[in-house]
Amino acid sequence: MKMAVQGIRIGAFVIVALAVAIGLTRADDFKLEPVQVGEPQRIEVFPPVVNLAGVREQMQLVVTGFYADGSVQDLTRAAEFSSTNPEVFTLDGSVAHPKADGSADLKVSVGGQESLISVNVANQGTPQKVSFEYGTLAALSKQGCNAGACHGSPSGKGGFRLSLRAFDPELDKLTLIHEDFGRRTNSLEPAESLLLLKPLMKVPHGGGLKMRTSDPAYAVIRDWIAEGCNLDPPEQARCVKLQVYPPSGRLLKRPAHTQQLAVLAHYSDGSVRDVTELAVYSSSDEAVASITEGGLVVGKDRGEAAVIVRYMEFIESSFVTFIRDIEGFAWNNPPTNNYIDEAVDAKLQQLKFLPSSVCTDEEFIRRVYLDVIGILPTVEEVQTFLADESSDKRAKQIDQLLERPEFAKFWTLKWGDLLRLTSKQVGADGVYKYHRWVERAIAANMPYDQFANELLTARGSTHQNPPANFYRTATDTNDCVETISQVFLGARLQCAKCHNHPFERWTQDNYYGMAAFFNRVQRKNTPKPDETFIWVSGKGEVTQPRTGKQMKPWLPGDGDVENSEVDDRRGIFAEWLTRPDNPFFAKIEANRIWSHLLGRGIVDPPDDFRDSNPPSNAALLESLSADFVKSGFDRKHVIRTILNSRTYQSSFEPNDFNKDDTKYFSHYQPRLLSAEQLLDAICHVTAVPEKFGSLPSTTLATQLPAPDLVKHEFLKIFGQPERQTVCQCERSSESNLGMAIQFFNGPLIYNKLRDGNNRFRQLLDQQKQDQEIITQLHLAAVNRPPTEKELAATMNHISSKDEQIAQHNTETDAKVAAMNKAIADMRLTFEVKLFDAKLQSIPESLRADVKAALATEEGKRNEVQKYLVAKLGASLSVSADEVTNGLDEAAKKMVADSTTQIAELEKQKQAPGSRRIEALEDVCWALLNTNEFLFQH
Amino acid sequence: MNRTMLLLSLTLTLAVGLSAIADEPVSFRKDLAPILLDQCLACHGPKKAEGGLRVDSFERVTKEGDSGSPGFVAGDLELSEAFRRMASADADERMPAEADALPAEQLALFKRWIEEGAKFDGEDPAADLITIVPAPTHPEPPAAYRYAIPVAAVVFSHDGSELIAGGYHELTVWNPADGSLIRRIKNVGQRTRALSLSPDGTLLAVGCGAPGRLGEARVFDVAKGEIVKVLSTTSDEVLDVAFSPQGDRLAVGAADGAIRVFEMPSGKEQLSITSHSDWVMALAWNADGSKLASGSRDKTAKVFDAKTGELLVTYSGHGEAVKGVAFHPENNDVFSAGTDKKIHRWQIADAKKIADVAFGGEVFKLPLSGEFLFASSADKTVRQFEAKTQKQLRSFAGHQDWVLSVAFHAATKRVASGGFDGNVRIWNAEDGSEVASLFAAPGYETAAK
Repeated sequence: MKMAVQGIRIGAFVIVALAVAIGLTRADDFKLEPVQVGEPQRIEVFPPVVNLAGVREQMQLVVTGFYADGSVQDLTRAAEFSSTNPEVFTLDGSVAHPKADGSADLKVSVGGQESLISVNVANQGTPQKVSFEYGTLAALSKQGCNAGACHGSPSGKGGFRLSLRAFDPELDKLTLIHEDFGRRTNSLEPAESLLLLKPLMKVPHGGGLKMRTSDPAYAVIRDWIAEGCNLDPPEQARCVKLQVYPPSGRLLKRPAHTQQLAVLAHYSDGSVRDVTELAVYSSSDEAVASITEGGLVVGKDRGEAAVIVRYMEFIESSFVTFIRDIEGFAWNNPPTNNYIDEAVDAKLQQLKFLPSSVCTDEEFIRRVYLDVIGILPTVEEVQTFLADESSDKRAKQIDQLLERPEFAKFWTLKWGDLLRLTSKQVGADGVYKYHRWVERAIAANMPYDQFANELLTARGSTHQNPPANFYRTATDTNDCVETISQVFLGARLQCAKCHNHPFERWTQDNYYGMAAFFNRVQRKNTPKPDETFIWVSGKGEVTQPRTGKQMKPWLPGDGDVENSEVDDRRGIFAEWLTRPDNPFFAKIEANRIWSHLLGRGIVDPPDDFRDSNPPSNAALLESLSADFVKSGFDRKHVIRTILNSRTYQSSFEPNDFNKDDTKYFSHYQPRLLSAEQLLDAICHVTAVPEKFGSLPSTTLATQLPAPDLVKHEFLKIFGQPERQTVCQCERSSESNLGMAIQFFNGPLIYNKLRDGNNRFRQLLDQQKQDQEIITQLHLAAVNRPPTEKELAATMNHISSKDEQIAQHNTETDAKVAAMNKAIADMRLTFEVKLFDAKLQSIPESLRADVKAALATEEGKRNEVQKYLVAKLGASLSVSADEVTNGLDEAAKKMVADSTTQIAELEKQKQAPGSRRIEALEDVCWALLNTNEFLFQH
Repeated sequence: MNRTMLLLSLTLTLAVGLSAIADEPVSFRKDLAPILLDQCLACHGPKKAEGGLRVDSFERVTKEGDSGSPGFVAGDLELSEAFRRMASADADERMPAEADALPAEQLALFKRWIEEGAKFDGEDPAADLITIVPAPTHPEPPAAYRYAIPVAAVVFSHDGSELIAGGYHELTVWNPADGSLIRRIKNVGQRTRALSLSPDGTLLAVGCGAPGRLGEARVFDVAKGEIVKVLSTTSDEVLDVAFSPQGDRLAVGAADGAIRVFEMPSGKEQLSITSHSDWVMALAWNADGSKLASGSRDKTAKVFDAKTGELLVTYSGHGEAVKGVAFHPENNDVFSAGTDKKIHRWQIADAKKIADVAFGGEVFKLPLSGEFLFASSADKTVRQFEAKTQKQLRSFAGHQDWVLSVAFHAATKRVASGGFDGNVRIWNAEDGSEVASLFAAPGYETAAK
């Protein structure tokens, strides 16, 4: 079934719309490859004995072949089935149908092997009515009628509303039978029932064709109507368990790629019925496998998929692994550092992925700093580490970092997200106190069970006892249930508030059963500003809103708590939660730590544990969590163990045999630095710290107690969560245009690049050479020296600035010269005009001679000319001042403007080396814009 | 195609055989429209218009779909895309999709009609097909009911000597004195949702239909049990019918959200009011016939000017579907009731609620008879109120299932109620005693025993 799950938070409740694209997945939607039977050593038939105790019963058979090489495959599609007595039972493919009371054998033959199983048929003389719940409602679920996007939505569709996945049979009874004068069913002519005509598209149906008369669900619904729409008698046996065959763990290797499932419902009277046809199937990973409506799992690609099987409120899953030969693949026995690598390698080897090689020291130091303390190493730290030649330097580095105060501060940020630490929610004073409590707990490496216990059972003043703030952020009983289940049980329980969880085993009863631990928590504001007092009342019960039943406190796995009249029921819950064998507690935290360090949970999203979201490596999660429990819930121990694994230290660069892997940890997954890490890293590279309001100037972004103490635009843009929810998903890692703009020419980076006291200006002041400065910048930003190529390119960029300067100066000189010439030319025209005017003052007869005399070079003048020049030359000559004064307005303006421009141009002429700082800004800007800087890798 | 489907198709297309035998030109209305409605409308209608083609009117059938070819082209079998697809030998291409091919005789009709010029023999080519198809003759009711069916409508005959109840493709007529079956009136739609007797008692309007497929207001001659007229054919059920107190008009409310008013006895449509956005489930006239009240699944009750159809007021106080309406005897207020389990009394002048009466379950029919108001409810009771003050006078208890319908006969002081389980009870309004109890399903009790 193709589905898109989308959660929309509206007010207090979450609607999960399950969009079913088009009906059911049918076997003929796939091209199935024929089964290559080969030579099985033996075959096994499930179930080993078939009991068909009713006319409506049938049994799906599953045949498994076992081979000499230890492999198994499903032979159901290839096997031949026959009945030794067709009077007693018959076969339709691999499904047995009863005919008459008695016993007979069923013969299965395939690949030269044969198997006989006995079939017992009973009650064939007695009518067997269709069950309303286990027949009709299951059939409606099968066809998707009551899906969230269809009639199962809170307001129904087209005036027809069913309860979501049939969680409320009372409502469905009303809707199907009574509502609108019983118009949906027609017991006199069952096939004329609107309930059938609509999905068959015999009458217009907004949802389109959703059923065919050949579907098993059709016959079930039709027969139920034909029998008079009976409700189940109160004494009817209840389904108590769902069994899926084969159980988890089947491994199929191409060409084997299909697995028939058999789904059995176990009832309270001990009876077992085949519900393969009516169970609803979904795959945790559609890229790996799909399941047809008849329960045939069809593998598509290598990997693991959980097949989720749902029948009424029961959900079971079966993990199936699909492998195939990869050409050229050969396992290379990579070295292992600890049990983590062994578990990861086992999975990789099985799925035929090769792990990447170990990352470089440069990559390691950057990676481990960012993950453990949230910030980049200093230039000196990088240099020291790179220079260290001891073989255990990585382990030493890890130990060192885990003892730094920044470790606790940084991991407090992660827990701050989960605990919704904001001043709005716990008060301006409270937020510091609560933050300090978490930080101290982490710094002291408080065992995780104690940490959880202190939070969950906290009471008293939120100032005196900061963990009491837990019940201040979880403002009511429902909030407690949802917060605690998401943070400590990894379960998103919001849906179950209003209806049974649509995809998971959580029911509405479970929700309110959990609520009964927390409904007595009381919150009171004290006269002191910002202080809340948390106390526990001695009474108060929870009522399930749908059934009106008073709920006993309920523990997942343990069931109802009988003896709950204690001072504080939360203690019972906390005691159960932190038990070493609690199936959720250690796993969720171990997985959360893993996801912080590897960028992806073994279960991912890390706070969404459910059957339909299985771990990508269950053995890994098991050993990690077992180690965590064994260590006494020592979080530092788990962090240290992961950091020391080869898996953690593997290169981000994929090889030919793992580039398709995104979930089995064959190589490190690069990821964008978090908002806070990024801001600290920019400050670190530029050496220009950021000041956060009135917080101490040494406070880093990764150490902020709450996002609402100081609003920071850059942090917001890069996905700093507002801490409105306990969902880890609130911290967004989606990239957006705002991010690009920030890095391209945002004010934060611009100002730090221009800061007079930034890293490269300090180095310039220290008279450092370009090469030294560039190396320092690289060591600061990407924690490695520049490569020769990078260095050459960068040096080239700086020297190209000098060439630019020379060219610029030459161009400027030319411009100045041209302007001076223009001024001179214009003055000359005015000089000529002034001379001509003066010439008018002498007799006309002399003018030509005087002119000629003046034009003649001094030594070549004849006597007459000499005389004329001596007599009249002085009076006729035009001085520079006269020219200046003689200019007209336009000319004067032109001269003034040009002179200013020339002065301006002269000023713009640059001294060689004067643009070095600009070049360094460019270099630093470019470094900040590299993926190498932006990504944890 | 299974047997029951075939039966229905046969009845809906009864006329098919007639034309074929008589060798008359093929009639679009009589011969082809029923096939289109039965086989094609679900995918090519207003809800889904697969391939851009709709078949809900003649005009649309002959228009081009996404393929660019019209469904039918006069005289040209090749260009008639719809015919080509129906006749195709390729199962992937053939229509109806994912179903059996049309029977050869139906295909032959389409072929002949195209060859005869693909003519339209109705009045309005844009009219919905369902409205131009000749009224069907409905199948026989079951000889004996295997199951009783919900009785959504009951009514007393004019003199109170007969009680008429809705059945399956029929109306059953009972003796209110002893609960014995008097007669059966056939040729009725599958389910009956409403009954209204003309003031002179001669005509009976029946709101009936097949869920999701057909709705009709059928008018019967009560005495003869014969059909007089079929009015207001729609594609889903007719949910209420009401004769005006003067008997000159009949209001019909249907699942298409429209209220239609017909002049009686001519049957001429006078008004079509499309103010409601969902099923019209209840109708009532005021005493002088000047106003019409309605209740709808759109969660409102409304009052209209019965002459012009103008909306006078909308009451939204229920917040749930409204299934019963009645005018207060002084005609200034309206009673309405429904899924919110209450009767509301509100003023026509300003839609303000002035009183309400609570029930233990949703409230269905709300008939007013003289000074009394009755209500049938899912709390399994029928209640009688003093209409002026909505003071409860009596509660008739005894039904084992929801009470869907109620009727009162003033002269004989008898109350009749119809239950979801098919049980009809007749009560004495004077003392609340039960006079008779029966299942409006001939043969059912015998079968049950």
